[in-house]
Amino acid sequence: MAIASAAAESLTQGTPETTENDLQPFFVFHKASSRKSDKKPTGTGKTRRRIDLSPSSPNKTEKSEPDKAGERDEHCNEHLRTEAFELVWSKINSTIKDILRGINTSVFNEIHHWVLESFNATQSLGTPGFTESTRSFPIVTDATSKLLFTGMVLTGNMEFVDDLLTFEDLGLFLRSNGCHVANLSSLDFSAKSGIGGCLRGLLRQFLKATLYEADISILASWYREQENHNTPVVVIIDDMERCCGSVLSDFILMLSEWVVKIPIILLMGIATTLDAPRNLLPSNVLQHLCPSKFILGSPAERMDAVVEAVLVKQCSGFSVGHKVAVFLKNYFLNQDGTLTSFIRALKIACAQHFSMEPLSFILGGLLVEEKQKGEKNGLQPELVLKYTSQLPSYARNQMAEQNGKSLVHRFSELRRLHKCWSTVVLCLYEAGKYNKIRLLDLLCEALNPDLYTSRASNNHVVLEKDVGVPMATDRCIRRKYSTLRKGGFVGQIVRKVRDLPALMLYQLLKSWEKTTVDVLEIHEKVKDLQSLLRFEDGKLRPNVDDISKKHSSRSPLNMEKESKEVNEKAAALIDCLVRDYLRPIECIPLHEIFCFKNVEKLQLALIGDPRRRIQVDLLEFHKILRCGCCSKSGNVLLPSMHDTSIMYTLAQEHGDLINLHDWFQSFKTVVLHPSSKGKHKSKQSPYPKKRKDTHDSENKGEASIQARFCRAVTELQITGLLRMPSRRRPDCVQRVAFGL
Amino acid sequence: MEINNGVEDEELEEEEEFGFSRNYFLAKELGGSGKKSTRKLSDIGLVDEQELRAAASNIEPKHEKEIVALMNSYKSMYPKWVFELRCGFGLLMYGFGSKKSLIEDFASTALTEYSVVVINGYLQTINVKQVVISLAELLADQLRTKRANTSGNLSKQPFNSRSMDDLLAFLNGSQTEDKDCFICIVVHNIDGPGLRDPETQQYLSQIAACSCIRIIASIDHVNSALLWDKKMVHTQFNWCWYHVPTFAPYRIEGMFFPMILAHGSTAQTAKTAAIVLQSLTPNAQSVFRGLAEHQLSHPDEEGMPINDLYAICRERFLVSSQVTLNSHLTEFKDHELVKTRRHSDGQDCLYIPLTAEALKKLLAEISQ
Repeated sequence: MAIASAAAESLTQGTPETTENDLQPFFVFHKASSRKSDKKPTGTGKTRRRIDLSPSSPNKTEKSEPDKAGERDEHCNEHLRTEAFELVWSKINSTIKDILRGINTSVFNEIHHWVLESFNATQSLGTPGFTESTRSFPIVTDATSKLLFTGMVLTGNMEFVDDLLTFEDLGLFLRSNGCHVANLSSLDFSAKSGIGGCLRGLLRQFLKATLYEADISILASWYREQENHNTPVVVIIDDMERCCGSVLSDFILMLSEWVVKIPIILLMGIATTLDAPRNLLPSNVLQHLCPSKFILGSPAERMDAVVEAVLVKQCSGFSVGHKVAVFLKNYFLNQDGTLTSFIRALKIACAQHFSMEPLSFILGGLLVEEKQKGEKNGLQPELVLKYTSQLPSYARNQMAEQNGKSLVHRFSELRRLHKCWSTVVLCLYEAGKYNKIRLLDLLCEALNPDLYTSRASNNHVVLEKDVGVPMATDRCIRRKYSTLRKGGFVGQIVRKVRDLPALMLYQLLKSWEKTTVDVLEIHEKVKDLQSLLRFEDGKLRPNVDDISKKHSSRSPLNMEKESKEVNEKAAALIDCLVRDYLRPIECIPLHEIFCFKNVEKLQLALIGDPRRRIQVDLLEFHKILRCGCCSKSGNVLLPSMHDTSIMYTLAQEHGDLINLHDWFQSFKTVVLHPSSKGKHKSKQSPYPKKRKDTHDSENKGEASIQARFCRAVTELQITGLLRMPSRRRPDCVQRVAFGL
Repeated sequence: MEINNGVEDEELEEEEEFGFSRNYFLAKELGGSGKKSTRKLSDIGLVDEQELRAAASNIEPKHEKEIVALMNSYKSMYPKWVFELRCGFGLLMYGFGSKKSLIEDFASTALTEYSVVVINGYLQTINVKQVVISLAELLADQLRTKRANTSGNLSKQPFNSRSMDDLLAFLNGSQTEDKDCFICIVVHNIDGPGLRDPETQQYLSQIAACSCIRIIASIDHVNSALLWDKKMVHTQFNWCWYHVPTFAPYRIEGMFFPMILAHGSTAQTAKTAAIVLQSLTPNAQSVFRGLAEHQLSHPDEEGMPINDLYAICRERFLVSSQVTLNSHLTEFKDHELVKTRRHSDGQDCLYIPLTAEALKKLLAEISQ
């Protein structure tokens, strides 16, 4: 330690703040305080927690009682919100996992079937006798016995990150079906660790022990053990293309030698095409593979399923506003294109919501309540009221009743309205499938409050009492589809429903019937419409007792007309549903509790933009520091400005190379601006040295300016905006970033 | 200059490669490099290096008040940051200015419930394995105090003899159901020179992904995001970005950068050399000492031939083969502690780019 402190001392030369710890590669900053059970608010206390040890700190006595109570409330609230987040997110997360697993089930089953077949095929080559199998070298009888069954799993996804979970699931699935499974990744096949790396990985997963001496014969003897025998051994490599080719080749060659003793079956994830193994592996390795092909669900398919479960059906009660949905969509399409990033964005949105919205803890309460009906969720009515009165939508709707009971009523109303909304969105999605409309696009439109208000203002004739009257069709038709006029995805869908062939229409109505089953009022309307149709001899017929009474003759022409009429009615129905029920959550009172709308916060947390932001920090630093001295300068550089800012602004005038001499001179001119003369009196230098007969203070001023110049250059170097002089051009530095 | 042909070539290549993209961007800028100045740095009238260093340590701070106010304004975000850590996110702080004191203030006021380990990424060499070992020890400690009365069957094997995978598995373990039991790591400059290589970043991301670990890091380089691939960003680090410019001087972070106006600015100073040497093994230090002693006793020679150094090191049982010596030398060269030049008789020889005085001081420091 003495050495380090000596070094520190000599290093800093009079900056005593540099501590020993600053020069340690790492150190323990502090250990967890033992007051963990007694959860107190963190972060706002003026005293450092490290110092006060007694739980009832006397330092805090100056705080007034109501203050304390407020703090306690605040803290209690924070704690509730943390819990609520955990509840909600774990619900969302498990829903997503279930959905993805569901999508993969059929492929997984297929793979399992293939694994068993391959295993039987290897076994049929004959199992080694006792003497043979106990020898620690492989058995090779003929060429066929060296074939390694390999499943190529095409992910159809350029980004392997989405498939990590899939392969993990596949591993679990096969394990639960009685296979031995090891999951390896490209990290295990690095050139650096070589064949030993992947072998160690295998041994660690199969033997559950770390062995420094990795040898396949250990694996062979492990497999010989009674409880491990007669079960297929599956090795999954999730991103085969990223593996080091030579290591993977060695690995495959080795496994193929041992395949009789250890019936290993390979599964490799491939993002591109089936050519990938051919590009990576030499032909003498390829001939040992006996490949089969499997295809996973497409990313778009998975995306739709996740959006449906999480944002439309709202498994957790948490929802997002229109702007956030649009942002998520654009983020998915433009930034990353991976489901993983979408889920992460959703998680950040969720966390932001719970950290910012005081009332969000209600969401957790409602979720618990749903699970165990009847039990009180421990909401404190006063607290709820206190916060609700601050909600803008609450104020807008001027709710007179100020008691907890009416609040509970309002929550259930909100949920009911929202249930209707999601049902209609799903109906639209079912119809949109015929037009290949993506759910995310549809969702963004369905969440748009502006569209809703414009729809509502167009149809102000529609009164509340119309809801529930079965089939207001005539009027709907007369109004000629309000949705059509608007265009957009909903308009497209309505148009499609009008043109749908009879058979598809029949299927669509079937799916609507299923979708709407929870919402009675909509379900009845669908049922009514369904009763107009009959499925007969493979042909769709309008129901006799209803329509055909009016049309006495049943000529083909009439048939056509009739079915067209059904189409019209279906279109009218969906149009009507859109108008009456597609009420975005942002148009419902109290939605703030459940709905995250702050798109800016989400964007900032999700996408850091250091390249641009750091430059802006430098160029417009006065906007952040808000100092009185530099704000009004406009574009003129003032000596009071931050040195590095001055330097970077000056650098903008240069090309890619900045001549240090010129740069220094212009920097000096700026900082020696007449108004600031005499401001830079540097402290006594221990080595006063006269130069060219200039007097002392000027020399010191010069030294100080040079030192400031040096520091600014160093700071620009740390931010990576500058490259140091090369040997070829010792008088110039290089600018790295051009433009924001 | 001609001596270092290899280096020169490399540089030329790099220049050419860089030139293409540079021209593209410059074509967009208006006549940026139209008039190239050829004036020399030496025309400035540089002050004496010691004077410069003295002045550097006494630079009058600007906007002190505003900077303090800015730092204080971030305090209101502390609860939110803690909340996000609890939710399982990592915090990534960026923006101009040193964020060291901000993050440490956050850790000391808002993270008292959790153990905090600080990694100073701005240093030249950091041993990640050591970090992981001490993290594991901390966690084991924490678990032991938690279940003080239950039998402690935790450590069968001392942590420092376990493999990285084992240690990571321990940190990722489900020894505790309490989701709130985690250790926070603060990484100052996760993009710093000691952590910048891909392997270290892989390890860091694996550490960050452990269930018992939360990470708070700062970056300063504009291109830091290029260090990570999608797996690291989305599933391991799980960053929440925060733009928190502080405009505080990079006092410690900038310590290891040469001052551009100092004479021979490319040479390492004795002080930074001492720091680097102290992080190396005793054997490596002794090898360095052997070379330094030779240089001090033969001030007029151009350097020490590698074979001579090897002979000395063999005698002192510092190295067993040329290979080990070379690995030490590579380490020295990487940190610019040692350079090679062509001797007048044609063979390569080693020298330390420091003055005799600085070298003596350095030897005194490392032999303490």
